[in-house]
Amino acid sequence: MRNLLLLLAKYSSTILFIVLEVICFYIIISFNQSQSEIWAHSANLFTGSIDERVENTTNFFNLEAVNDSLLTENARLLETIINYRVFSKENEFQEYEAIDSSLLEYKFIPARITGKTVNKRNNHITVNKGSVDSIKVGMGVISKDGLLGIVKSVSKNYSLVMTILHSQSRISASIKNSDFHGTLIWDEMDPTTMNLTSIPKHAEMSVGDTIITSGYSTVFPYGIEVGTIYDYKVNRNDDSYSVIVKLFNDLPSETHAYLVSSKDQKEKITLEEDIEDEL
Amino acid sequence: MNYNWVSILFRFVVLLVLQVTVFERVRFDLGILSYTHILVYPLWIMLLPFKMPKPVILIAAFMMGMMVDMFYDSPGVHAAALVFSAYMRDFILRIIEPDIGYEPEQPFNIRRLGIIWYISYAALFLLLHLFVYFSVEVFSFVYFYEIMVSTITSLIFSLFIVVFLVLIFNPKS
Repeated sequence: MRNLLLLLAKYSSTILFIVLEVICFYIIISFNQSQSEIWAHSANLFTGSIDERVENTTNFFNLEAVNDSLLTENARLLETIINYRVFSKENEFQEYEAIDSSLLEYKFIPARITGKTVNKRNNHITVNKGSVDSIKVGMGVISKDGLLGIVKSVSKNYSLVMTILHSQSRISASIKNSDFHGTLIWDEMDPTTMNLTSIPKHAEMSVGDTIITSGYSTVFPYGIEVGTIYDYKVNRNDDSYSVIVKLFNDLPSETHAYLVSSKDQKEKITLEEDIEDEL
Repeated sequence: MNYNWVSILFRFVVLLVLQVTVFERVRFDLGILSYTHILVYPLWIMLLPFKMPKPVILIAAFMMGMMVDMFYDSPGVHAAALVFSAYMRDFILRIIEPDIGYEPEQPFNIRRLGIIWYISYAALFLLLHLFVYFSVEVFSFVYFYEIMVSTITSLIFSLFIVVFLVLIFNPKS
């Protein structure tokens, strides 16, 4: 017994080292798998508010650039409204006047980015809207130039967004003016490009074509422009293309985001779950 | 044992604040450099007195790592790396032990041990720390090339800052 105690005393630091490493890896693994990661996240109110304060200071120095980008954003919104008016004029079945804002399929909640990472394998951003602004897990997040990600967890005033630059990110996308669609994934470790997989081999495409969201998932509405085709090749092991997509937006420089709330999201999900249950 | 707890605590706060408010936000938008992380908090573990009991150093490393993790949105990753490099600290110190030896009860006196000794100590410590950090973060060796590139670019920048910090403030106690 005495020898055992002596042995323990001799190797106490090694034992402590192993215990601490096991704790660390347990935390890392449970963080990767579960949704209960909010505890240590910047969505956590404490670090979130510190992040926001630092961001406030840096924002002050960027005011001019931010104003410029808001201006372009407003210009594009105006453009969309005008396009929509023209469209509804031509389509006699859709009365523009009849649509009041509560009936709109998608609503956009503007938010400010208060913290982000762009240089890791799994990147997250934090935005300053939370459950009090009716943000829910699973909402899509876009910026003025393209996609940002999907809300992963929500606290009272902040939400944590899994960006498209994340190893688990899967986004349904298609080639503009074509019915073929595939899945956007990020495995290049390059924040300016993503890969579009599962496009069948007989699809026609050329470098420079625009990639848009397909609208098949409930997260993003149809037709958000994501990027352009930079390069493509046929996969050896299956009959599909692997397409490299150059993103329109530059995640490191994004400062504002829009959270997309879909009126029908809940209904669609319930319907799909019902079908899965029956199968 | 009589350590200067005030200055140890002071260094903890200063390095943590520097790390999460300044260096977390430094980004390079230049090819391979875009994965560079400047990590200065390992300096805290590096400067702990030589004879401090190893379990204390390990727990200190765990605490510092978890605090940094809270701000980096990566629970456990920094802690795992820092606990590892803290465990290897004795080993590194033994490799580069100078002829004049260490003063066991004292904090490291950079003037006495020489700047060359300090740079090689910091380089070895940071190399180990950064390598483990990037390996744990990616969690697979598929990205070995990326891990090596990130480790080396991060090492160059972090080492520069860490040496710079000590030359400016030259902690004697």
